[in-house]
Order: sequence, then structure tokens, then C-alpha cells
Amino acid sequence: MSNANAEQIANEPTPYTEPEQNDDDIINRKYLTFTSDGLHFGLNASYVIEIITSHSITHLPMVPNYVKGIINLRGQIIPIIDIRLKMNKPEIEYTEKSCIIVIDVDGIAAGILVDSISNVLDINYEEISAPPKNNEQDLVNGIISLPEAVVMMLDCKKFVSE
Amino acid sequence: MDNSMESMLDIYLFESTGLLDQLDELLLNAEKQEYFTEDEISEIFRIMHTIKGSSAMMQFGSLMTIAHRIEDLFFIIREKGIDDNFKMDLFDLMFKSTDYLKDEVEKLQNGEDLLENVDVFTNEVDNFLNKMNGVEATDSATAEAPAAEAPKAAAAATTSEPSDDYTVKIVFDDGCGMENLRSFMLVNSISDVCEDIKFHPDDVETNAGTCSYIVENGFLISFKSEDDYMQAVPIIEGALNINSFELLSENMSVDVDLTPPPAPVEAPKVEIAKAEAPKEEPKVVETPAPEAPKPAPKPAPKQGNAGNAPAKQSLISVNLSKLDSLMDIVGEIVITESMVTSSPDLAGLKLDNFIKSARQLRKLTDELQDIAMSIRMVPVSGVFQKMNRIVRDMGQKLNKDVRLTIIGEDTEVDKTIVDTIGDPIMHSVRNSMDHAIETNVKDRLRLGKSAQAEIKLTAQHTGSEVIISIEDDGRGMDPDGIMKKAKENGILTKPENEYTKKEILALLMAPGFSTKEQVTEFSGRGVGMDVVKKNIEKIGGVVSISSELGKGSCVTYKIPLTLAIVDGMEIAVGKSIFTIPITNIRQSFKITEAEVIHDTKHGEMVERMGGFYPIVRVHEVYSIETEKVNIEDGILIWAEASDKSYCLFVDELLGEQQVVVKPIPAYLDSFNVKSTGMAGCTILGDGNISLILDVLSLYDATISIY
Repeated sequence: MSNANAEQIANEPTPYTEPEQNDDDIINRKYLTFTSDGLHFGLNASYVIEIITSHSITHLPMVPNYVKGIINLRGQIIPIIDIRLKMNKPEIEYTEKSCIIVIDVDGIAAGILVDSISNVLDINYEEISAPPKNNEQDLVNGIISLPEAVVMMLDCKKFVSE
Repeated sequence: MDNSMESMLDIYLFESTGLLDQLDELLLNAEKQEYFTEDEISEIFRIMHTIKGSSAMMQFGSLMTIAHRIEDLFFIIREKGIDDNFKMDLFDLMFKSTDYLKDEVEKLQNGEDLLENVDVFTNEVDNFLNKMNGVEATDSATAEAPAAEAPKAAAAATTSEPSDDYTVKIVFDDGCGMENLRSFMLVNSISDVCEDIKFHPDDVETNAGTCSYIVENGFLISFKSEDDYMQAVPIIEGALNINSFELLSENMSVDVDLTPPPAPVEAPKVEIAKAEAPKEEPKVVETPAPEAPKPAPKPAPKQGNAGNAPAKQSLISVNLSKLDSLMDIVGEIVITESMVTSSPDLAGLKLDNFIKSARQLRKLTDELQDIAMSIRMVPVSGVFQKMNRIVRDMGQKLNKDVRLTIIGEDTEVDKTIVDTIGDPIMHSVRNSMDHAIETNVKDRLRLGKSAQAEIKLTAQHTGSEVIISIEDDGRGMDPDGIMKKAKENGILTKPENEYTKKEILALLMAPGFSTKEQVTEFSGRGVGMDVVKKNIEKIGGVVSISSELGKGSCVTYKIPLTLAIVDGMEIAVGKSIFTIPITNIRQSFKITEAEVIHDTKHGEMVERMGGFYPIVRVHEVYSIETEKVNIEDGILIWAEASDKSYCLFVDELLGEQQVVVKPIPAYLDSFNVKSTGMAGCTILGDGNISLILDVLSLYDATISIY
């Protein structure tokens, strides 16, 4: 996936060449958006390995409640984080819409449990603005206003390195 | 390009370290006998030659220079022998030089820069040579002479024809036909780059009869100068149907076996290294020794090359990460196989053929698993042999006469384990050498021990474990001394008189403990045994020390054979399934409410075989919902690890199973899951995950809760 993206970038004439903007999250234009507790989030599609629905999660003892447990994804053990609980929102029953986005950031894999997947969007990085500084947003590193909704960009690196 | 360079470097490092280890062993052997045999000298010569060649190819100047010097040195030794007076010096010089080379190779491995100036070393070799020559001045004067005569004599022996300095004998593949025309074509192409060449037989173009002569005696080409010869080598190598070629003018010729055309990817490096040999050869002045009584200087290098050939074909070196992924996949297959054969969809169906094939599949996957496991197993001999060198060096420095006895070096363990145990073993051997062995031989004799001390290095299998012990017959450990020292260092955790002997000895492995008064080059920094313990525990092993004052001491490592697969007991707690390594389980039993002993802190205990052991309820520790909270409904598992021994209360035992250990994902490291009793996880037959419990850290986690 990341390869395909890289190629795409290489083939396109790249107007955005400001050096300070060479963070992957921002150069790449494909974003996967999802919702959790009514909020819209986006994350860089190049991190996404796959999206899975229904999977039996093995509970882990003695970890924070937002770590739902681990799953076996074709032999790979992947931790699952419920983004609702991570945001201190109330837990809800899983519906048929809820699914797990499996991401891989620099070799660290994790699954994000979300309410529903919305779309894959092409977003120009220039339209993404930084989140307000004093607004405590550990997980978000950008905000964009789209016709449908305001989408917050998830900081994947921070998300997995925590 | 970068990539291929990288893998070339890999191969280079692999080969060089292998050769240097071999050299070390050889030297140690030779030193023991205080004599170099013909074979050994030739072997050292060959090793240095190979290192020189491949270093030159990789453009590692310092390595090449050093190897070249030693090669020269051994060349002279081989020709003239060595005076007894210089033997000890020679051994020291050789050990120094192998260390030198090893250092350089290590630098390469770590990506550091190599030394640019190796004059210090080359001077040393020169000095040594001068010293040697001082004694054998008369010999050295004539050394050059036979060199010049040699080629003639050699050439004359085989044929009366070309006798230039650089004569190459070419042997064609058996039965390739038309040897005369092939020769002619070869001469043609060589004459493009070299003007002045002679060849024999010289009428190959016109006389078909020369065929049989060439088949029998080979085809000879003579060059006027070394440069010409060098230029021609690639052409000869590139020509078709050439079996081998050798430089005749040097009697010690080096055969270059050309591998058949479609060379495997990894082969070129080897080939080039070999090809390098003849190129370098002329630089060394070599004298034949036909009149000398020494039987076989000539075949030695040939043996080297030829002897290696079959070994190269039957052994390959594989990147460990590939084996890791192979192991992963095999684990997957084993799991998937049982998922398929025990699929709930099949329940109640009568499927004769399916069951038959399933059984066959089962057999094959078992076999596959065994083989995959066995690939990872390597003998511990490599690690053990290195200790020879340490014992020798330290023995000399500390002036102690110590013999190292190695037992069971063929014992095979997982490659990752072999890599890890090297340092701990070295630490222990150093400790024995430095602390344990008496400095004064009289002390030994007075206790009725032989003057020569012994360190015994043993490896043996016991079921799923390998036991490695380092035993010495030194002065042993003094519990009182240890106690005193431990008190001084303030590492006691309970009143002095409550320590048993075993516990006192275990204090040696506490961080910051060192009984040696002075810090020496070898030990005494107080970081020895605790590092050993940590390293061994990292691979799931246990260290124990036993000792008897005056008689000696023994350090024992108990290490699981492999990290990848463990025998586990599956247990259920509520809906969760856990795996406890069988090695940690002493017993499992049911008890009645009456047998439970309550202590003041709501803790529970049970008496078993004369001892009292705390009961740890897994469902409480891990807050798992279960119906079996009554002690009579579930079952107790008496678990033991290191110095912890306690009973786990679980719902039920599900059965014993071999499981493939998978690490807990890196993401979870930040939650410290390893210290809460989870050692890893494994995938069950139905695709679900079972957590592998670490009996040791689970207990610690329990303590922190109560």
C-alpha cells in the first residue's frame, strides 16, 4: 500500500515541496476516515494494512481498559485499542458496523476499534490546519473542514508509540 | 549494487571469522604440542592466504597487509623450519596477530573504520623475522637462490619446454574434444592483451595429434612478466571448458577450479577469492622443496581448495531471520492443520477418505516441524572452543597452569541460545581463572591436588533442557567471606543468620558484588555474575552455584533447548485460556476447604510435602469472571521457578500441548505486561490466543496487589 502511494507521488508533479512539510502524514493525499462517538477522524491511508470486521479478541489482564486485548491476524499477534475508551468516552456494544483498522507504523502494528468506517478521501495537505495549541488533543495533529464534516487527523506515530 | 556489496560483506565476514576461529584452534593445539606440524603450517599459510585474497578483493587494506605479512612469515617457516628458541615468541606473535585480525573484522561488523596504519604490526613481524634470520643468516642468504632455480627444475620435471618465470598449465574438461583448437583459440585471445607469449605444444593450430598430448599433460602458456600473466588470468578464467589452470613456475602452485558455467548467485565471491590466489602468488618468493624430506608442501594448498569444495556444496549459510520466518510459518501450518481437521463443520460426518488424508497431513506437518526445529540447532562447540583461548591467555598472564577439559561440545541448542551463552560462559571461565584457581601452586599441592588446575566445561541434554556447567578444582568459595563482603556492600535483604548456604552463594549473583579486592584486567568490577544471571534468565534459563571450600566450585546454567516451542499445560480460568510451561509445574492437585490455611492478611496457604506454599487465585489477580471461586471446584497447580514456589488456583486443566511461542506485541511493552506474569502468547488450534504465563513474574505481580 505504501509502495503504491509512493509511486503515485513520484509520478505526479509535486507542487508541495516545502522541506518542513516532509512529514509523511501530510504529504500523502489518501486518507481513511472513520467515526467514533460521533466524531470524524482521518488517518493516513499508507499506514493501513487492512480493515477487519468481527474478530474474537483475547482479553489481556492488567492493562488499561482501552487496550481491548490481542487478536490473531493470520499468525500475527496484534493489540486492539478501542479509540472510544482511549478518549474516555462510554463503551458501547459492538454493532455490525464497528470494525478494526489495522495499522502498521514503522513495524509496530496495532488495531484501532472504531464505530464505523466512512470513506477514503483525497485530501490536499494544504487544507489541513494544525489543531489549536492549548486544546488538549494528544492524538490529533491536524484538522480539516470538509463538506460532510470536520475531520480530525489521527497522529498514528504518537498513537502506537505510547 | 549496494545490496550485492552488502551480501558480499556478509559472506566475507562469515568466512573470515570462521577462518580466524579455525586458526585459533590450530594455534592452541600447536602450542600444546609446542610444535607446528607440516600440515599445520600449510593450513595457517592457506588461511592467511585466503584472508589476504578476500580482503584485497574487498579492499580492506589493513587486513590484507597483516595477513600478507603472516603469510610471508609462514612461508619462510615452512621452508626453513623454525628454531626452538623462537617458538614461544612465534606463538605470542601469532596470537597477537589473530587478535589483531579479529579486531579489524569486528570493526567491519560494527561498521567502524579500519586502521590505516599497521606499521607497528608489520615492524613486529619484521623484527621477528630478523631475529630468526640472525640465527639462520647463512640459510637466508641462499633462500633466494633455489627460488630462481625452482621453476626450471619444476618445469623440467614435467616437460622440457617453456621455462619462463610465469608458466601456466591449463587442463581442459574431460572429454570436451578438440583440445588443440581450444588451446589455439585461447592463445589467440590472450595474445590480444599480451604480446610476448610462448606455448607448448606450439603446433596446436595445424597438428590435430597434439590433442592427446594436451589431454595428458595439459597445455602450457608462458608469460614474460607478471603483468602479462595477470592480464591473461581473467581470459583463461573466462574461457570455456577449462577445468583448471595452475602456475607452474611456482612449484607451490594453486589450482583454480572453475565452477561450471551457470554459477549460483553466491558463488562468484568464492570464485574470485580463489582467482585472487594465483594473481598474488608471484609476489611471494617461493621455493620448491623437492629435495627436502618434507613430504607434502605442494598438495597442501590444493587440498585446501579441493577439500573445501565438497563442504561448500553440502553446507549453506542462511540468514537467521529467514529461519525465524520459516519457524513462524511452520507454526502457522501446524495450527492451521488442526484448525482444518478439527473444524466444527465436520462434526458428525463420516468421512473415511478425509480422515485418512488428514492423518497423512498430520504426519507430514510433524516431520516438517521437526526439521524446521533441527535447522536452528547448532552445536555449542564454537562457544566452547573459544574458551581454550581465554584459559591460555589468562593462564599465561596470571601465571597459572590450567587445563581446560571440554565435555559434550556436540550438544546442540537453538542458534539464538548459542549466541547468548557465549558471554556468560566467558565470564564464568574468567572468574574461575582469576578468583578460583590458586595463585600459588604450593597451596594446591598441600591440599593434595595436582599442580595443574582443571576447568571442566560440560554441556549435556536432559529432556527439554540443556545443562551447561563450568567446574573448577580451585580453592572454592568461602561462605563467611561472601557474607562479610555482602554485608560491607549492603546487599543483604534479611538478617545475617537466616541465610542458608545456597542463598549465600546466590549473593554472588547480586548486582554490585565482587569479592576480588582489586580490579584486574579480567574481572573484579562487580558486574560479572549478575550480568551472567540476567543474560541466562533472558533466554529462560536458571543459574546456580555450588561450591565446597578448598575443593572447587561449579556454576551451572539450566537453559531450555529452544525458545521457539515449549511444552505447555493449557489451563482455563473463566473464558480465558492460559499456558503454563510444563517445566514450571511440579504438581497439580485438588484440595478441600479444610486444607486451606488462612493467614492474617487474607492470604491462603496449603501444606504440601512438608512445606507451606501460598495460593494465588489467577481469577483474582487478573480479575477474570468465573464460576469456580470455591477452592474445591477448581484445581491447584504447584508452580516453581527460580526461588519462587507457590500454588496457582485455576478452573481446570485442559491438557498438555506443544506451543509455538510468539512475543507479545511491541505496542504493549509500555504497559509493562512482562512484569505482570505474561511471558508471551501462542495460537491455539482453533485460532484463538492463549497467554503464556511467566510463573516468576506472576508471583511478583501478585505480591504487589495484595
